[in-house]
Amino acid sequence: MKQFLIITWWEFVRHFRSRSFILATFVSPLIFAAFILIPTIYLESTSTQEIRIIGCVEFDTTGVCLKIRDRFLEAQFGKTIPPTIQLVPIHSDTSQYMKRRFNEVSTLKLELDSLENAYIKVKERRKYIFQQPKTEQREAQLRRTYEQLIQTRESRDLAQLEYWRRDGECDSLWRIEIINNADEMLINLQLEGYLFVDPQKFEKGIVEFHSLFPANFLEIETIQHAVEVVIVEQRLKGEGLRVDKIQEWLEPINFREIQLQGEDKHEFDFLINYLGPFIVVFFLFISIFTSSGFLFSGVLKEKTNRVIEILLSSVNHHQLIAGKIFGLGILGIFQIFIWYSIILFLVGLDVINTSEVGFLNLRNAGLFLLYFILGYLYFASIFVGIGSLFSNEEDAHHLNQFMRVLSIFPIGLAILVLEIPSSILVRILSFIPPLTPTFMILRTPIGNPPTIDYLISVGIMVVSIIFSIFFAGKLFRIGSLLYGKKPSLKEIFGIIFK
Amino acid sequence: MNIKIENVTKRFKFGAVVQDLTFSVKPGQIVGLLGPNGAGKTTTLRMILDILKPDEGSITFQDKYINREIRNKIGYLPEERGLYQKYRVLDVLIYFGRLKGLNNRKSHVESVRLLDSFQMIDQLEEPIGHLSKGMQQKLQFLVSLIHDPDILIMDEPFWGLDPINQDLVKQKILSLRNSGKTVLISTHLLPDAEAMCDYFVLIHHGKVVLKGTLEQIRKNFYQNKIIVETDKNLEALRKIPKIKEFEFDDSRIYLYPDRNTSVKEVMRQIINTTDVSRIEIHKPSLNDIFLQTIKNVTK
Repeated sequence: MKQFLIITWWEFVRHFRSRSFILATFVSPLIFAAFILIPTIYLESTSTQEIRIIGCVEFDTTGVCLKIRDRFLEAQFGKTIPPTIQLVPIHSDTSQYMKRRFNEVSTLKLELDSLENAYIKVKERRKYIFQQPKTEQREAQLRRTYEQLIQTRESRDLAQLEYWRRDGECDSLWRIEIINNADEMLINLQLEGYLFVDPQKFEKGIVEFHSLFPANFLEIETIQHAVEVVIVEQRLKGEGLRVDKIQEWLEPINFREIQLQGEDKHEFDFLINYLGPFIVVFFLFISIFTSSGFLFSGVLKEKTNRVIEILLSSVNHHQLIAGKIFGLGILGIFQIFIWYSIILFLVGLDVINTSEVGFLNLRNAGLFLLYFILGYLYFASIFVGIGSLFSNEEDAHHLNQFMRVLSIFPIGLAILVLEIPSSILVRILSFIPPLTPTFMILRTPIGNPPTIDYLISVGIMVVSIIFSIFFAGKLFRIGSLLYGKKPSLKEIFGIIFK
Repeated sequence: MNIKIENVTKRFKFGAVVQDLTFSVKPGQIVGLLGPNGAGKTTTLRMILDILKPDEGSITFQDKYINREIRNKIGYLPEERGLYQKYRVLDVLIYFGRLKGLNNRKSHVESVRLLDSFQMIDQLEEPIGHLSKGMQQKLQFLVSLIHDPDILIMDEPFWGLDPINQDLVKQKILSLRNSGKTVLISTHLLPDAEAMCDYFVLIHHGKVVLKGTLEQIRKNFYQNKIIVETDKNLEALRKIPKIKEFEFDDSRIYLYPDRNTSVKEVMRQIINTTDVSRIEIHKPSLNDIFLQTIKNVTK
């Protein structure tokens, strides 16, 4: 017992003083926090300080752009956070070349109108002549005006064809010019993006958004919503519904998210209910793998430099393994305690809002600690058993990496818990030993699992730990004295099941 | 404390590593466990230390099986060494002292005393990794002595030491022997063993092939060799009777008389046969005995 305590203390103290522990306790979480916080702070600072100008381009004068802007402004009205987007209809100046083309088209239109008038006049004159009594003179006048009618109609048709051709041509060139102008504004960074409303496509519910930078395609839901409202308005109007009622029906909806947790109901908060537990699991896993990693590399080094033989000449292998596992387990708990204290300190300084860490209450913290200990004992015994089989750091390093990737796998599956924490699949996965600690820690604040799930999962973990310690002991007893070639999988199983 | 190894056998998957091994180590005696690589020396030491369990036979200390108390009286120096490279010399010594049952204060005092006696007091606070290889070897030796053990078991104790430190370690081992400690050394450096050990156990393929004091071994081995140097014709010596083997080497010849032949008579005949510039009776060294024995066993 005394020897066991000496080893426990030694393992705790020597790793507590190591640079790796300081890195894992203070630097890794800082880097992790920086990864999360820097983009968030950047987005928040840019979104509050900068107004993004989004243009709206349309080809006709139906005023769709103005309607979209109005609906957008209505949706923003009354919100605590001021809108970060300004929607402006774009009226670009027409070029001289296009003005000349428009003038030519206008002249053609005037000519066409004049020929149309002339044609109507000839038709009316013939009608008047036709109504006169039938005489030789009337017949002669009808024949003469008929020729005039044919000539005028021919001229008018030709003028109309020319007008349509030139007008269509002009219209296409104008569209191109408008888009080019809008694109130029994007390139000159005068606009973050623009909506492009083509009347024909608009009827089918298609509106395009053009932008230069990928980030501008994010957070435009408010504009999308305004466009949808205008399209729905147009469609409802087409069905003959009352305009004032349409406005009323399309009022923005205030959607409240209430989550049932046990007998309590709480407003859903992404940070508290979704991201928070995930971060806790992540940190607990940093701790588990810091301690297990120390254990793995410690055993390997002691084996490489034969210190293990001196140790085994002083204590038996049960005491040695137990001392190491306990010493590093206490180190892990101490690491968690440091983090917990930092959180409490930050809460005290009002840097973190109490409600944001509300899930770290005493009950949950106790359960987290329980699953941390179970997870640590499980993984630590596996690591110590496997670590003792290698006498070469390079061989062991590859396996260590593989084990870490394999062990971090449950975090990858965490999304399943976050989606539906009480689904059958999640419950089944919660009872598979390598996944149990992660899944139960995640389920605790999110899904409030039934007591039976806690009992089953703890029972399964205890049995698994007994087995893994038993097998690790066998591996350690033989493996710690094996030198030379690395053992094959067959040999490892041979040692375990001998 | 007396160690008695009786009919010990250890088998691994590939076969027996130690077979029916019997010898004992008495207090005030240095026993050399000798043998080529793979003979089973380290396995034997591990069984004595209770790191491995024998499949057959028994190992007792003063007629008792190993227990916590006995374990604390054993100092062990393994073959290859390293220690904790990042940790301070004093901390590591204290740790091993405490594992051997010393309290913190006693372990601290003993560590300082030992470091001082081995001229390492200036390195007290230094990380082990900063010490030279020789210093680290010396430190490892001190780890085995920290608790003033009654039994000292050392696997290749002179490995990696420079001549000065080798001598320092030798003197310490001899002084421990003289103070009544039980010392077991495993080595394949036979000149060192010959100079230090009081009793030898030569093992090969896990079996004892030779054991006893140097005198006993020499007596039992019986291989007198007569060295003759001459400018004359060496071939003339072949006529001398009762010589089982001749070895020629330029102007020198080695003659191996039959076991029952009088060496004195053979020497007289040599002198009568030819003019010799040198004639010498060569007693076999431990190395000769070792090599010859292994050769005979392998045959």
